[in-house]
Amino acid sequence: MEAASMSEGVFVLPEYLTGPFSSPLLQSPGESAELAALLCGIIALYAVIRIMLEPDVMRKLPFLNVFSFAIAGIMALMIPHPLGTVAAAAYFIGSTFESNALASTYAGGVDE
Amino acid sequence: MIPAFLQIAIAALSCWILFITVDILWALPREGGVVGAKAIAAAIERGGGHIRGGTMMGNIVSSPDASAGTLLAACGVYSGGIFGGLLATVLVYVGNRICHDPGYAGTTGCFLATFMVYIGTQLGIAAEFFVIGMVIAILTIQGVSHRHASRFLGLLWRLRQ
Repeated sequence: MEAASMSEGVFVLPEYLTGPFSSPLLQSPGESAELAALLCGIIALYAVIRIMLEPDVMRKLPFLNVFSFAIAGIMALMIPHPLGTVAAAAYFIGSTFESNALASTYAGGVDE
Repeated sequence: MIPAFLQIAIAALSCWILFITVDILWALPREGGVVGAKAIAAAIERGGGHIRGGTMMGNIVSSPDASAGTLLAACGVYSGGIFGGLLATVLVYVGNRICHDPGYAGTTGCFLATFMVYIGTQLGIAAEFFVIGMVIAILTIQGVSHRHASRFLGLLWRLRQ
């Protein structure tokens, strides 16, 4: 009896060891969050279509900004945990930094 | 219980007013913070837009400004209450420094938006609707018509001066 429960314990995670997806801070996203994420997804698709249709490279970047907003929103909405917000912020700041670098390089580099 | 679409409309309107006000007060249309912002402004002007409005749009693309602050504050309040919003404020401050932005528009916008979203949740508007509200607000500025958006922002900038 004792040995059986111990050998079981090797493969079953102890209750006190919680990962980010079993944290008490994490609730499953509600119906309204799913509606909001769906609308974000539609806006992201629209932004991608506008990026493809825009011939001027510099004028693609504002549409790319809308796309980043929508994706960061979906990330935060689908992971209702403080770390989800950190992930969304990291993604958004990274994508802004990339747009910044892209625009500066395309415009002829940073002037001294 | 306010209907969902009315909640989204109210959230979008309040986010729009907040981020435009903070950006105009921090003088984003005055000059491009980085070379890329100036290049985007020039491209928008070539397309028939207004140079000052284009500069503000270029600055929004190039560094986390009040619009990004509002989005991340809404995400923070959604996942962690008012402390989540303050965590987002710190992240936006770090993001501003990473992008060589000398201003504090993003940090200010995020800090104010934290309290706006928190008060909104107390009045019956869910925090997740502020997230989609901010995405709709940025769509109206950056994603519909650059010519008309930049002219409108240029008009607001003239009014501020």
